[in-house]
Amino acid sequence: MSDRYRPQVIDHLVRPRNAGELSDPSGRGESGDASCGDVACFTVGISDNVVEHVRYKVYGCAACIAAGSALAELVEGKHLLDGARVSKADLEGALGGPLPAGKEHALTLVLDALHKAFEDHWNRKAGDMLGANGGRGAGGRSVVAAMSGGVDSAVTALLLKETGYDVATVTFRLHDGERGSRSCCSPDTVLFARDTAHRMGLPHFTLNLKELFQRRVMQDFVGSYNEGKTPNPCVACNAHVKFHASSFLADELGFHHVATGHYARVEEGPTLARPVDESKDQTYVLWPVPRELLSRTIFPLGDYRKTDVRAIAEERGLAVAYTPESQDICFIPDGDYRGFIRKKVAAKPGDVVDGEGRVLGRHAGVVDFTVGQRRGIGVSAPTPLYVSEVRPRSGQVVVGCRQDLEVREVRVRDLNWFLGPEQAACVQVRYNGSPVPCTVEETADGGWVAYLDEPVMGVAAGQSAVFYTGDGERVVGGGVVARRSS
Amino acid sequence: MTEPVYLDNAATTPLDPRVLESMLPHLGGRRGNPSSLHAFGGLARERLDEARDSVASLIGASPGEIVFTSGGTESDDLAVLGLARSAGPEKRHAVVSCVDHAAVREAARRLKYEGFEVSWIGVDADGLVDPDEFAASLRPDTALAAVVYANNEVGTIEPLPQLAEISSERDVPFHADAVQAAGRVPIDVSETPVSTLALSGHKLYGPQGVGALYVREGVSLEPIIYGGGQEGGLRSGTQNVAGVVGFGTAARLAREEMRGRVTHEMALRDRVMSGVETIPGVFVNGHRERRLSNNVHLTVSGVEAESLVLFLDALGYAIGSGSACSSGGHKASPVLLAMGLTEREAFSVVRITVGKDNTPEEIDGFLGAFSTAVEQLREISPLYAG
Repeated sequence: MSDRYRPQVIDHLVRPRNAGELSDPSGRGESGDASCGDVACFTVGISDNVVEHVRYKVYGCAACIAAGSALAELVEGKHLLDGARVSKADLEGALGGPLPAGKEHALTLVLDALHKAFEDHWNRKAGDMLGANGGRGAGGRSVVAAMSGGVDSAVTALLLKETGYDVATVTFRLHDGERGSRSCCSPDTVLFARDTAHRMGLPHFTLNLKELFQRRVMQDFVGSYNEGKTPNPCVACNAHVKFHASSFLADELGFHHVATGHYARVEEGPTLARPVDESKDQTYVLWPVPRELLSRTIFPLGDYRKTDVRAIAEERGLAVAYTPESQDICFIPDGDYRGFIRKKVAAKPGDVVDGEGRVLGRHAGVVDFTVGQRRGIGVSAPTPLYVSEVRPRSGQVVVGCRQDLEVREVRVRDLNWFLGPEQAACVQVRYNGSPVPCTVEETADGGWVAYLDEPVMGVAAGQSAVFYTGDGERVVGGGVVARRSS
Repeated sequence: MTEPVYLDNAATTPLDPRVLESMLPHLGGRRGNPSSLHAFGGLARERLDEARDSVASLIGASPGEIVFTSGGTESDDLAVLGLARSAGPEKRHAVVSCVDHAAVREAARRLKYEGFEVSWIGVDADGLVDPDEFAASLRPDTALAAVVYANNEVGTIEPLPQLAEISSERDVPFHADAVQAAGRVPIDVSETPVSTLALSGHKLYGPQGVGALYVREGVSLEPIIYGGGQEGGLRSGTQNVAGVVGFGTAARLAREEMRGRVTHEMALRDRVMSGVETIPGVFVNGHRERRLSNNVHLTVSGVEAESLVLFLDALGYAIGSGSACSSGGHKASPVLLAMGLTEREAFSVVRITVGKDNTPEEIDGFLGAFSTAVEQLREISPLYAG
């Protein structure tokens, strides 16, 4: 390819369209920085979801300036959804064809700045009010699909599009530890998700939820460990962040539904039901989704097996087909959650004791222990020792033999019921566990207690307890395991 | 639009019609290999010798000290690698200035793989090497030192005679890249004790693809190209006869016309400088007095170099950019960073280099276009507050 610019590029350089900055924009976005040498800044004036005005400024090479000019021209006057759909390929078209080799970053740069302006627009609108408000009925055919950059969410959006939905995609900025954070533009995950959406012809938005995520998920995660509990951050995110944010955007766009790439199904009630691919079942982490949000939620992957999902991605040529499975907690990509917590809270040493309170040894801090843990206790004994209880106040870690871990009743708080509690026939207390038959009873303090038909090992406070119907197929409700009353 | 105006003479100069004329017979007709014994070869050899005389005269050398090469880069590489490799095994140190041409810097970097330690000599804000710092960096095990005669970007002329003198007193072979200086700065190797000195044809209105390395008699140099032993064994390969002949003509003209050219260029250069300096946020880089007669190097706040160059190109003026923007980012010039510019400033630099054929009218036209381009690009720049 020639490294000379096309006449269209030079024309945009010499006669830039929409150059400048709006004095009172509804959103402002900037991308690039000093070390990469190019900076693009977009301001947008949005009213009734129409991008009435777009102004841009660029410090950068001719490609960046021309791309900014062409993008501003393409987007001004368009519906927000159409503006958010403009892809690199559209921009290249407006510039007369592909840019010279090595200049493609100009497209990424200006698109990123525009999308950050959209993001700013949403975040200004959202303010602190990012709450559930039910939205429209479930009848319409429009949906906001959350996209993480992985294969599941990409196929989710694709399936919805193919079944005739109007789809808008959204990626959330949740924390700063995202993979491939570079000095310029957005982290690779956002750019990748945007690119994937655009290749499917779908509009893409980003929402900055870092503050919310920090407050509702990360602080809770650290705090729980410090209190000797075993938190599940995915549950906290589903309870407070992901579905609320998707729902907010759907309301703003006048869309009916929200969708994610979770493996679960929504059934009448609404309630959650196990997916076709039981090995991928995520109903256990979805129990806290408020009913009014669940009623507008679609989980297209509930009807597919993971292998089918990958096959669909491959068949449709989605680059995400080959992304690895994400397993870890998203804000701790290396999986070292103890190291993560230690950075946030100082460890206080304490005693390792047995059931009778005899001191067996010392430990460096309660955050290193979780109920059921066998390794790293640091005390030798003839039979294997397990952590049976963590007492953050006294700094004690109680250990015992396997039988000491067995519980026959589980106290549960903060319940979210989809169906009548009387339908709760079994309870699951671990992500990959299986439900155990139980009977439930409300307690005087507003919590519930589940009496298990058979003992269960290592139930830790802070985990989720999810109740299923007698056939084990549908979620009746869920809650958080409370500390044993002892 | 009228004929575009060329103001990038440091990149390459136009070919002087008189040079072209002298080359034509060797591009067609009775072509011979200078190494051949017959009449064809003899004629080529004769022309080669004439060219060697002309190039030698330009710098006060004797013809036997001129090695023809493919250009400035090869000359620099031959000097740096050649001097280093012919030094004794106990000499494993090289001294190189930060403002040398990439050909010298990269060759020096290459030497690190051959076990050499390289000391980089910094510069002041004007791009000048400090002779005391230079002297202090020379060691008993120094195999060679290299400082550019005049920097190709900002045009600062180094205190070359003094530096070469220091090096010579310490018995350290000294290489000077005089690619930009030759024809603009009087160079006399009989008075300036350089060991080697690089020249290029196309910066002197000669052809591209031909250059020379002056190698002082008695200086030992390991070749970097091996073969038939042409050019005294220092540069094997059949000579580029037409190119060398053109280079010879260009060198002769440069010597004969130097005074007039320099006066002409300086007037145009100063016209550019005083014109652009009336625009706020435009600064001249490099030494104000000790600078090449044709060079204006500018920082233009808030404007990225490539966009300015292409904007002016669209308006019919060809100037040089001081940085290259490539995949995912810019690469700031190490020369400018050595002079203390920030990365951001180093992305906002352009180089205007006038030539013997430019006119004051062209400069005036350029100044108008330049202020239009700067104004418009600043209007869309998020980094210029005005």
